[in-house]
Amino acid sequence: MTALHWLTAAEASRAFAAKTLSPVELVRALLARIDALDPKLHAFIRLDAQGAMDAARAAEAEISQGRIRGPLHGVPVGVKDIIDVATLPTTCHSQVLVNNVAKTDAVVIQKLRQAGAIIMGKLSTHEFAIGGPSFDLPFPPARNPWNPDYHPGGSSSGSGAGVCAGLFPVALGSDTGGSVRNPASACGIVGLKPTYGLVSRRGVFPLSFTLDHVGPLTRTVADNALMLDAIAGHDPADPGSKATQARYFGRTLDRGVRDLRIGFVRHFHETDMPAHPEVTAGLEDVARILQAEGAEVRTVTLPSLTEFSGINRVILCSEAWSIHAPWLRERPGEYGQLSRRRLLPGAFMTAGDYVGAQRRRLELIAAVEDTLRDFDVLLCASSMDPSSRMDDPEETARTYPRQARSPFNVTGHPALAMMAGLSSGGLPVSVQFVGRYFEDATVLRVAAAYERATPWHQKRPPIG
Amino acid sequence: MDQHLLESLAHAAGLQKALIEFPDDVAAAAAQALNNAGAVQVPTDPTAEPWPPMCPGIGL
Repeated sequence: MTALHWLTAAEASRAFAAKTLSPVELVRALLARIDALDPKLHAFIRLDAQGAMDAARAAEAEISQGRIRGPLHGVPVGVKDIIDVATLPTTCHSQVLVNNVAKTDAVVIQKLRQAGAIIMGKLSTHEFAIGGPSFDLPFPPARNPWNPDYHPGGSSSGSGAGVCAGLFPVALGSDTGGSVRNPASACGIVGLKPTYGLVSRRGVFPLSFTLDHVGPLTRTVADNALMLDAIAGHDPADPGSKATQARYFGRTLDRGVRDLRIGFVRHFHETDMPAHPEVTAGLEDVARILQAEGAEVRTVTLPSLTEFSGINRVILCSEAWSIHAPWLRERPGEYGQLSRRRLLPGAFMTAGDYVGAQRRRLELIAAVEDTLRDFDVLLCASSMDPSSRMDDPEETARTYPRQARSPFNVTGHPALAMMAGLSSGGLPVSVQFVGRYFEDATVLRVAAAYERATPWHQKRPPIG
Repeated sequence: MDQHLLESLAHAAGLQKALIEFPDDVAAAAAQALNNAGAVQVPTDPTAEPWPPMCPGIGL
């Protein structure tokens, strides 16, 4: 029998319905595991054990009366600490907001509560979702369950580490330049940046208004679809939210890839930013496996990673500066050094730089859209390297920008990162799938086909 | 970047305190801003529009 902490959300939900498990039992088991493991993983900034137990008892009472709200009813969820959970502090992992208690739930939390999910607490992040991993902040950085000496990715680092270590089956993160997909890649789990506009950002502390997304991190593709079903939906009070019919994101998970055309963006990892050989080998394996499953896989060309990342940085820094300028002027010492250095460039960018980047952005969007007219999904690298050591800031600084995630923050297309193997050093390597706007279900479908054909989702970190 | 220009720009941005307390961070940020902005190939077509566009009403 599967240990309770390794149950997926879908498995837990089935066990609740069959009355072979109760939410209270599951939350108790997870709290014991958090107690044992979190002192070395630091996934949590604030564990809400009492709130979780109260919610578990309420879920248990409803489920026992046959009032099952849906597949997330009674399922524990971890929440990145830039997302508001009423009565808990939203610190953004920063001294600047260390006493910032949220008055109301973010829209995604409201939706998760309506679905009956149990909020376990607030999770480590890079400071303000940009400055990390850092040791000069009020809370320690999260660590990678595959090897706690290594970086778990970020900025949704606690979300990645906690899901990977079995502290909770599912979590929420945010993604402005890859911050859901980076921890998913480093920790060997599944992370989705949904289409821009599909998930409300209201109640989530902003980093960059036109690049920010909220998305789920899970151990399986099916759980990712369940989470997206719960959190997607139009929010008229979020100006970036789109009224769309996209829903039921898991409806085609079992359909396979036989009729799909997949574009392999090889130049990202072959010439733009030559990847670690084990990453390259992993990506070639993914292409072979999808071909064997019946997909048509062909090489495609997009604008270069250098172009995408330059545009991402100009837009991100300009928009983030407009948010942080008052604090950076008055309280620069309350930021960690990494975030100070990553936020200050916005002070030196001009209006012309910003608008120029937004104008070029439209051309890059058109180029990706043009390619997606001939292909259902794109396949490309996520991280170019396995994770770096926590005590090697030079290596982290070298590898951190070596990624192919930020292009899809620039364009807003849905993008999912998942495990595609283990390096010789015992760390996950990853792949990324990208889809058309609001066809997140197709991205999940390809990911599910790959998951079924490979053993990676069954691998567990050697952490007990 | 020329030190005088750097200090002038930092002052104009209201970063007097950061300039005193964290001069290396301010200098690194200015250099990074120049690099990043220089990497963008701004469209040569003067009519090229930015994204996101101005939309009437609220939301996308």
